Amino acid sequence: MSRRPESERSDWTDLDLLTRDEAYGRLQEEIGLTVSRLAELGADDSAEHELLDTRLRALREAAEDLNVQ
Amino acid sequence: MPLQPWMKLLSTDDHLIEPPRLWTDRLPAKYRDLGPRIVEQARGEGQAPAEVWNYEGRIYPYIGLNAVAGKSPEEFGLEPTRYDEMIPGCYDPKARLRDMDLDGVWGALCFPSFPRFAGTVFLDGQDRRLALLCVQAWNDFVIDEWCATAPGRLIPLVILPLWDVDACAAEIRRTAAKGAKAISFPENPVPLGLPSFHTDHWDPVFTAAEETDMPLCLHFGTSGAAPRTAPEAPFAVTITLFATNSMYAAADLLFSPVLHNHPRLKIGLSEGGIGWIPYLLERADGTWERHRFYQNVNQTVRPSELFHQHFHGCFIDDRFGVEVRHHIGVDKITWECDYPHSDSYWPKSRAYAAEVLADVPDDEVHKIVELNTRRLYNLPA
Repeated sequence: MSRRPESERSDWTDLDLLTRDEAYGRLQEEIGLTVSRLAELGADDSAEHELLDTRLRALREAAEDLNVQ
Repeated sequence: MPLQPWMKLLSTDDHLIEPPRLWTDRLPAKYRDLGPRIVEQARGEGQAPAEVWNYEGRIYPYIGLNAVAGKSPEEFGLEPTRYDEMIPGCYDPKARLRDMDLDGVWGALCFPSFPRFAGTVFLDGQDRRLALLCVQAWNDFVIDEWCATAPGRLIPLVILPLWDVDACAAEIRRTAAKGAKAISFPENPVPLGLPSFHTDHWDPVFTAAEETDMPLCLHFGTSGAAPRTAPEAPFAVTITLFATNSMYAAADLLFSPVLHNHPRLKIGLSEGGIGWIPYLLERADGTWERHRFYQNVNQTVRPSELFHQHFHGCFIDDRFGVEVRHHIGVDKITWECDYPHSDSYWPKSRAYAAEVLADVPDDEVHKIVELNTRRLYNLPA
């Protein structure tokens, strides 16, 4: 029984999977950018504010799920 | 902003990681121990064991990746080798949908991982009956479970039992009847020990693809031959040259009888980028003009004409390709995301696509990100 496959035959060589840490870091960065954009919005940007708020909640939930396991 | 909020991004090249029980849940009892199953393998002191696939007693390390080229064995441990080290969107369709929503992506066509992108791992199978059942199990999982979680958003792509051309054609028809939309096929069968595009061997496959109106998706790397210049060359050389595999596939098919004999065949060049296409077509037409007379190639149809009739490509961040889109044909370009590979821009793929397409008129953007994929893959809006 071989311990490793014939890696040279694999087409996975471009397969560099996003890790949990990397994904968490990307989410944190996006959360920071979204918070900054929200802070820049004026009072008449309520629609944009709502969209970004929803996105911020979703990003935080996803980051929390990755962080707790 | 040319990418409008109402445009739905459809990715023609994403990937999934097979859940651990994909085959054990589907294979007949007598094959469950021989078919692919996850086993643990020691990974070193203080580390949880790796989870690896065992198929007919052969061990295939890393559930989701095999990014070994250019890495020493000591570095392998940096990559996820267990399901609990991966992001759930790799293997759980509900988590995938949440990640797609975060990313502003509506639809995704997902290639396999353990079976390799065109299912070629099953060519290793000693028991051909088992191998066929494994191919069918993957296809059934994708159609009945993965894509059934969100019909219209997760787009079914299937693999084939490549050692038996009649079984391939039968599997195309079987899965088309179940809702499959695309077929993954090797970019070049020859390095896999299979007949080339210059024979009539694959005609039943191409006929079945035409009849079912499913594109053949040739993902780069599926020939099993990555571009390498020297054993000691850094992996950066190979990564830089990945798209040359798509160039090989395009040139190979353009000068083969395949597209002349199968006028309705659609070919997708998956993850190969698009910027190279105008150059290759100019070169192929020039070659055809000067050198067709003494070779066994079609004497009446220019390669560029064939390309525009049959091929489409995709890109993640090919700014030059977007700039020369009219030389490629706007109708021939699709968008891809490549989630969950680190090449993807998740969770800001939509924002990045908007940036890359910022100078493109709205109607062309809509074609590139959504309408072309709907037309080529028969996806109703």
